[in-house]
Amino acid sequence: MHRYPRWPIHLMLSFISTLMLIPFVWVLKTSLTGENIFTYPPSILPENPHLFYYVDVWYSIPFFRYLINSVIVSAIVVAANIVLNAMAGYSLSREFAGKKIIIVLFLSCMMVPFQVTIIPAYLITKELGLLNTYLGMALPLCSTIVCIFVFKSSFDAVPKSLIDAARIDGLSDLRIIFRVLVPLSQSAIATNIILAFIWSWNNFLWPLVIIRDQAMQTLPLGLSRFLTVVEDTTGALYAFCIMVLLPGLIIFLLAQKQFIAGLTRGAAKG
Amino acid sequence: MLRSVLYNRYTITFGTIALLAMVWNVYVMVNDDGIVAGRVVASDGSPVENATVVLSEKTLLVTSPRDKTTTDADGRFKFSGHTVYHVYLEAYKNGVGRAPQKDYHLYFRGQNLNLSESLQIEKTQ
Repeated sequence: MHRYPRWPIHLMLSFISTLMLIPFVWVLKTSLTGENIFTYPPSILPENPHLFYYVDVWYSIPFFRYLINSVIVSAIVVAANIVLNAMAGYSLSREFAGKKIIIVLFLSCMMVPFQVTIIPAYLITKELGLLNTYLGMALPLCSTIVCIFVFKSSFDAVPKSLIDAARIDGLSDLRIIFRVLVPLSQSAIATNIILAFIWSWNNFLWPLVIIRDQAMQTLPLGLSRFLTVVEDTTGALYAFCIMVLLPGLIIFLLAQKQFIAGLTRGAAKG
Repeated sequence: MLRSVLYNRYTITFGTIALLAMVWNVYVMVNDDGIVAGRVVASDGSPVENATVVLSEKTLLVTSPRDKTTTDADGRFKFSGHTVYHVYLEAYKNGVGRAPQKDYHLYFRGQNLNLSESLQIEKTQ
């Protein structure tokens, strides 16, 4: 059988990857040099790079305060996602009357954009007394349908006999979830963590609606405030973007193996 | 179990970040006396006594004067206790001239700065 060479595929993939990375590299280069993006000819390597734009960003706005706020909100979202989505995913992996209708309802909720539900979400948060609080910011993201289905597909792969054996041993449903199923679903957990973290870290509209104090603002709001205060500082603006991107990038790089495994689980039969 | 926790990539990554942050903060604590020291010379290289040196803070928006001092017989000046991170220095002496304004970027507020080049006063026309 004739084997085709792999190098054309690798070459094409390398080329496409480079194209995808160009905007990111451009942002990084501009944050180190501050050069005009319309400079011609454009230079690939930064000329006279320095870190002073990062220092400008650190002192121009209360960056550390915004960072702490984002970390707290993201931590609440990630923890809530793992607990609530595991429970929802377990219930969807069991058989019960009306299961198909529930799944269709969940899937149809994914079609509704968040902007449509923002007014009732605000009224509910206000009635709960959670306006201008960390929990109020985290509440809409505490459970996401995509991540519920990630857990569901992970739990579906666990043999039913294992769950039955646990039930015979006297474990309740809650203990079955957290003692038996969750330890076997590391990929699903990693996927939940990454998706929940990225969505909460980059969330702009909801914190903008419910936050009143500047001290409670998160990084995306801080970036918006930075833009309104400082109009023409490309280097500092791009430095801010890098500082906002960095935590999410680190989390993804650490958990990428489990993340990709979690997304592709069940994609191939056998 | 302890070994698996310590050699975990999350522990190593976040532990390294925490360690670097601690080392940096110690360095800042040791070097944030807010000292800016330098020398003012004339165009022929001779020191300029009683020249006025103004230290300003330059932010992304404005430049605001923060302190003022005069040079000694050797043309040397020293500011202490400043809390700026972007220093803007100008020196002048009535009847002699004015040095071109220079800015110096620092890595943190109040970082000590010893100017490697003197501020050279040029005759005003």
